[in-house]
Amino acid sequence: MRVVVADDAVILREGLARLLQEAGFDVVGLAADADELLELVESAEPDVAIVDIRMPPTHTDEGLRAAQEIRRRRPATGILVLSQHVHPRYALELLRSGTDGIGYLLKERVSDLAELSSSIERIGQRGSVLDPAVVGQLVDKRRPSNDPLEQLTAREREVLALMAEGRSNRAIGERLYVTEHTIEKHVKNIFATLRLPPSPDDHRRVLAVVAYLNAQ
Amino acid sequence: MSARLSLIAVAGAAAGAAALWLAAHSSYDRPTEPGVALTFVVGASLFISGLLSWRQRPDNRLGPVMVCTGFAWFASLLIEVQTGWLYTVGEAVQYVYVAGFIYILLSFPAGRLQTTLNRCLVMAALVLGVGFELAAMLFGDRRGLRCTGCPHNVIRSFADNERALKILDLQRILGGALAFTVICLVVLRWFRASRPERRAAAPVLLAGSIALLALIGTIVNDETGNPFDRAPAEIFFYSFALVPLAVLLVFLQRRLARGGVAGLVVELGEPTAPAGLREALARALNDPSLELAFWIPAESRYVDPDGLPVVLPGAERERSSTVVERDGQPIAALVHDPALDHDAELVRSVCAAAALALENERLHAELRAQLAELQASRARLVEATDAERRRIERDLHDGTQQRLVSIAMSLGLLESKLPAGAADAPALVRETREALALALAELRDLTQGIHPTLLAERGLPAALDELCRRAALPVQLELKLDHRLPDQVESAAYFFTSEALTNAAKHSHAGSVRVRASIDMPVLTIEVADDGIGGAGTGGGSGLRGLTDRIEALGGRMTVSSPPGRGTTLRAEIPCA
Repeated sequence: MRVVVADDAVILREGLARLLQEAGFDVVGLAADADELLELVESAEPDVAIVDIRMPPTHTDEGLRAAQEIRRRRPATGILVLSQHVHPRYALELLRSGTDGIGYLLKERVSDLAELSSSIERIGQRGSVLDPAVVGQLVDKRRPSNDPLEQLTAREREVLALMAEGRSNRAIGERLYVTEHTIEKHVKNIFATLRLPPSPDDHRRVLAVVAYLNAQ
Repeated sequence: MSARLSLIAVAGAAAGAAALWLAAHSSYDRPTEPGVALTFVVGASLFISGLLSWRQRPDNRLGPVMVCTGFAWFASLLIEVQTGWLYTVGEAVQYVYVAGFIYILLSFPAGRLQTTLNRCLVMAALVLGVGFELAAMLFGDRRGLRCTGCPHNVIRSFADNERALKILDLQRILGGALAFTVICLVVLRWFRASRPERRAAAPVLLAGSIALLALIGTIVNDETGNPFDRAPAEIFFYSFALVPLAVLLVFLQRRLARGGVAGLVVELGEPTAPAGLREALARALNDPSLELAFWIPAESRYVDPDGLPVVLPGAERERSSTVVERDGQPIAALVHDPALDHDAELVRSVCAAAALALENERLHAELRAQLAELQASRARLVEATDAERRRIERDLHDGTQQRLVSIAMSLGLLESKLPAGAADAPALVRETREALALALAELRDLTQGIHPTLLAERGLPAALDELCRRAALPVQLELKLDHRLPDQVESAAYFFTSEALTNAAKHSHAGSVRVRASIDMPVLTIEVADDGIGGAGTGGGSGLRGLTDRIEALGGRMTVSSPPGRGTTLRAEIPCA
């Protein structure tokens, strides 16, 4: 699998590249900031871009914005954003542009090479990866102890799993040989069961996926 | 002083008696003759007003000038004498008093001619009145001097009455022009004057202008064969007689105003606000535009009653200022209308009466200025602290955190390279890796506690939302915030909420917490209420004390309500201006 790495700290950029090569990935380029990364994605056409969230010039959320830009220009590229902080808000902003082929992990997860490899591979196969620490903050603490995911029907769980892969209602319908309309009904039931009220910038789809990933 | 004035009064009375005798025994009948009554009225007005003004305001030249004009007035009566040489002197000096009159009018109220134009106009009056008259007298006699019944002019050198008449014609035309110019100057001055100045000068300028108009009337009357007989001359004499009285009136009014200082002293005995002090002084000085400035010795500058810096007016004449001193030290300054400069004595007495009250106000103003400075310095400290926190977070992120992550990567690599049968090694490496992950998590919490990056990057609502999600207790968050607030306000609100949530989790035994944040411009209100046991002291932890300082540095306040058994509510109100 072809990957690129973007991080302004040389020590981490080089270290990560070495680590990934060791794990069998084909590291096709390195970038030190968001602009370099965007050029690299255009030229090297990687399967997955691994991006540090905090890069020059402002050292705030450049990596996040670069990820959204990549999603806009080359939607086929999987994106893994690494952060030293647990910011569920950034994860949600990232997932809003689509849940397929997207991941948000804490930087320290790189110490577990096996886990990191499998995450990158899942992203490369259009799945989603969310750091457990982030999911922990996103999932409502006041949720009753009996998990509402348990209350979903087998069919609804199947739909939710396909949602977590980033598929649209129509794609899920094609996969399960039913109409898009039927899938819409299932999705509405899932939202109701998971007690996700309608929100203006409809986070519900993302939150449902988060709940699903949390239970995995 | 008074002996000299008495001597002058006696001399004036003698001159007046002689003049009256001459007026009573006038042997010819010219329309410009004042007659007994007017000779007395004009002379008495000049002498009485002049002497009283002289005594009232020894520093002002108007008194002596009016007295001299009085002598000149009586001297003009010498023209009635039948003795040749005395008549000749009278003929020569008969218009000197007009120059004195113009001097009074132009120099009022300061008593000094302040511009070159004014000085030139008085000189021109003397040249026209005496110079031209003497020139005419070199050529003319009796008819040539327009006085057929007069004695012979003893200085006549050339018998040329026609030329003498021509010189007198020119003298009258130029005299009319001069009078007109002075009227213009008086009108101009009226329009340029401030309100208090107008009030003070009105009677003098009005009487003076009427007199000058009447003077032009007498000239026209004289040149056209006296169609109006004595009317213009009488108007001139009466209005001229009013001018010295008007001057005296103004001086006496100011004496009355100084009487108002006594009222000021009584008024200042009562407790007053700074505005009250200003009003009282403005009333005493009769200048509604009066402003106060207080001297701050530590900063060597003046400030207004609110403690803001003030610059005293300089040499330009728009505004004027008087410094009030106490024990040789400036304590305050009155910024007032320049009209008050002519009455320095009144201003001095008002300053003397108000010195104590002004000193008191000065101390208040100084205190307010210091408080403003202290508040600014606290705000700067908070700002400096925030900057320092930002720097530390950045250093930790770029340094320690990155190194630890790098070590974690090496460990990961090491783990993958361990040979399969390496006994305890894999477990040891995994343990190390987990310990390192814990250290990184702790470091992450620490840096977020020092400087929450999300607050700077996404604003207060996002940061509060995340804070509440992370909290140990379930939190219900109600936000009514629609735009970014100043950095220090957001920081203070964030750390307040954070500390309050920590306290609730530690001490309140609460089941849940409600956080409410709303903005009602310009105040941000944050309330953190738990449903715990209550009874929290206002002393709180050191963290809460520090937060109170931070909020107060921004001009806000924090309150704690914690009735036993009914939960604890912490409330912060922070102005966002």
